[in-house]
Amino acid sequence: MAAPAAPAPVKKPRKMSSAKRGETLTAYLFLAPYLITAAIFTFGLMAYSFYISFTDQEGAIDKKFGFVGIDNYIRAVGDNQFLTTLANVVWYALIVTILQTIGAVLLATLLNSKMRFKQFFRTIFYAPSVASSVVISMIFLLLYLRTGFINRFLDIVGLPSDTAWLQNSRGLFEILIPGEQTISNPFLRGPSVAWMAIMAMNIFTTIPTLMLMFLAALQDIPGQLYEAASLDGASKWQQFFKITLPLLRPTFVLVLVLSTIGTFQIFDQVAVMTQGGPANTTSTPGYLIYSKVLGEKTSPESGYGAAMAFILAAIIFFFTWIQRRFIEQGAQKD
Amino acid sequence: MAVTLNQEKTNPSVQTAPTPRGFSVLWTIVRYALLLALGLLFFMPFIISFFSTFKTTNEILSWPPTILPKEWLWDNWAAAWNTRIPGVSSNIFPRWLFNSLWVAVVTVIAQLFFCSLAAYAFARMEFPGKNVLFSIMLASMAIPGVITLIPGYVFFAKLNNLPFGIRLGINTYWPILLPNLAVPFGIFLLTQFFKSIPKELEEAATIDGAGRFRTYWSIVLPMARPALITLGILSFQGSWNNFTGPLLFLRKPDLMTLTVGLNFFKGQYVNDWPKIMIGTMFNAIPILIIFFIFSRYYVEGQAAAGVKG
Repeated sequence: MAAPAAPAPVKKPRKMSSAKRGETLTAYLFLAPYLITAAIFTFGLMAYSFYISFTDQEGAIDKKFGFVGIDNYIRAVGDNQFLTTLANVVWYALIVTILQTIGAVLLATLLNSKMRFKQFFRTIFYAPSVASSVVISMIFLLLYLRTGFINRFLDIVGLPSDTAWLQNSRGLFEILIPGEQTISNPFLRGPSVAWMAIMAMNIFTTIPTLMLMFLAALQDIPGQLYEAASLDGASKWQQFFKITLPLLRPTFVLVLVLSTIGTFQIFDQVAVMTQGGPANTTSTPGYLIYSKVLGEKTSPESGYGAAMAFILAAIIFFFTWIQRRFIEQGAQKD
Repeated sequence: MAVTLNQEKTNPSVQTAPTPRGFSVLWTIVRYALLLALGLLFFMPFIISFFSTFKTTNEILSWPPTILPKEWLWDNWAAAWNTRIPGVSSNIFPRWLFNSLWVAVVTVIAQLFFCSLAAYAFARMEFPGKNVLFSIMLASMAIPGVITLIPGYVFFAKLNNLPFGIRLGINTYWPILLPNLAVPFGIFLLTQFFKSIPKELEEAATIDGAGRFRTYWSIVLPMARPALITLGILSFQGSWNNFTGPLLFLRKPDLMTLTVGLNFFKGQYVNDWPKIMIGTMFNAIPILIIFFIFSRYYVEGQAAAGVKG
């Protein structure tokens, strides 16, 4: 309700005036379409999901199901399949977020200065980002073929060129550590070749979007700061590290938080390119949850899937909270 | 920070430190070369895929691959256009294109109307609960979509058995359209823009006795054209590219949108590479054309997305 106004000089009736009531009614009518859809499809479904996660509901259509308390959550933290998808997605989020942020900052810096054709380059760089995840996945399925252009490029520069990228399940550390090793722990094994191929694709296609955000922020930094710094004899490098990076802090928070939320939920590329294979090394929680609700590959388990979704959401929330805290605390120290 | 949508931001002159002239010329050349090479690199996957649509599957799978086809099979496109699959009574790719198109158009119209209505209330009207609602709306943008995946499916599965044979559930378009009628990002974008428009004109209209809706419809909306175009193309792109929703809810081939249809087609005809790539082009080319026509608005939409942080 309306905040109590400062002591009124004239005694006013506590009720809203009829004009104000009319205004309130009109405002809520204007907001009604959003409020109704948000109440049902965002908050309603979230509450419903929370409820389902404590039941043993199987399929979507009405069937008898019972309340099982926190059994689903207990089962999830001991479920190897789910833990494997978490290990995969943690590697994915870590590597993709870091590399695409660095790439975007570098590209934005390269573009941000007085130059001709800036519009042109910006347009060219951004264009591939408007294509759908399905288009990108199809195109890279072609490029990653054993006889595809990635191998052709490696062949030209004289590297081994016979990798079946999306069928190779060897983990990064199994490759790096000499000798024929197999590591059974899905996290310690490191991301598989197939998984790293999907990472490379997504880093490549996300850099331009993030680049635009950094570019917009760079253009808001007053030029006088650099003038003053160069008068004081600061080198280009010093200017970059002492002026540019600290002033980009809010953009870093935004980009990291958005990337974290996005990467942890990766689904489309897995569904189109690998369906979680080879040997579950590209399976993600999003994909597993999707399989659980539709009962593809497994029997449908909606309740269990909902519990996994909340665990995933908690993990995302935890990481974004850490990022905000870490970077904002750093800002106070400066 | 205000969202500037109608004028190109001018770059505050970044003064370069005095450097030897020769070095600076060299650096300029290197930079342009680097940017051109990167631009080409980002575009290369599209160029390669486009040319592969004129090849045979055999040629696509042969080593070493070449960018240009050895023999140009122009008929591939007509063959793809006329492809039929069991269970669908018309050519499959035109059908999926049409489904994608009308879903996108309905989404755009709904979002422009409902988001701008809500944004007008947030930007111009005073009512109890305004700030709380606006904060909740912003916070809700951080809710991971995966949470509503399962209940969404369970909920809509139940809506297929309503009285009078009404079906709103699986294998209808309602589960894709309804949740996207008004979205927080669109409301936020337009609210910021409406706040940046001077109030005088509206006040004059109010004195002339125009009601709230008239003021919104005939004064504010026309002035918000740039922001509406930005939201329009972003929501078109979102709907056109949407995969998860249609994948979950459209389980019959004749109902699918192009993204899901393509994935389905790929699953059925693993080795028909030319058709798969032509279908991919059907999805990519329209959105690329829209992008090149409206690129200014895309860039500004991205910048506006950056403001919310």
